[in-house]
Amino acid sequence: MSSYNMVKQEFIKKWITTLHILDCSVEHPLNVTERKNAIKLSSDIAMAAARSSSTVWSRALISRSGNKTANKPMARRVLKKARNRMKNRCLTLRRNGNFTAKSGVRRRTELLKRLVPGGELIENKDYLIRETLDYIVYLRAQVDVMRTVAAVDSVTGNLTNDNN
Amino acid sequence: MSSRRSSRSRQSGSSRISDDQISDLVSKLQHLIPELHRRRSDKVSASKVLQETCNYIRNLHREVDDLSDRLSELLASTDDNSAEAAIIRSLLNY
Repeated sequence: MSSYNMVKQEFIKKWITTLHILDCSVEHPLNVTERKNAIKLSSDIAMAAARSSSTVWSRALISRSGNKTANKPMARRVLKKARNRMKNRCLTLRRNGNFTAKSGVRRRTELLKRLVPGGELIENKDYLIRETLDYIVYLRAQVDVMRTVAAVDSVTGNLTNDNN
Repeated sequence: MSSRRSSRSRQSGSSRISDDQISDLVSKLQHLIPELHRRRSDKVSASKVLQETCNYIRNLHREVDDLSDRLSELLASTDDNSAEAAIIRSLLNY
């Protein structure tokens, strides 16, 4: 199995867990928006949990998900499980003020830092690039899996098209 | 000249992205990002690489958001267990 397929497998395992926890701890029925946020939250946490605690982006993503859902008891359970698996403590993101950079590279580096979770905390450019590459692999796995699941026909359980 | 530039970046604590880092980044990104495939690595500027990377990540974020919308609609249409079961089943058979 290629390493990319292993990433997807790991993401799937974690996503099943987070979806299950959410399903158990949530008060049905949810409206469409609540459901969408729950799906997105479980997916992001699963992606970060699949990576483990050894990257900045995965820890920052868990931390950020915690900030979003502080008042929602259902999400607290999911995060507790994910946090227990994290060996290091989660980072708290501190938002910097507006940064205006003169050159194209500096400006675009700042943009990249905002797109990668925890990127704003990384001073070393080398480290930022390594984190970015790692993050992209997991982000793609998340999209690929979600795309396949979204193609499922809800009645027959079959895929409705031949994507992937 | 390029060795002077890269040694300077080492001394200043990598406040600039060096040429080595750029070619390393480009070669790795070429595997991941379609837009960079068509360009030869010695012609790609740091700025362009960063721009394509940012665009790519932004697009992936948007896709995750759209897919979350679609999945929530899928589950909303049948509020019993059949949709969830189908999804879990597809995940397990993946």
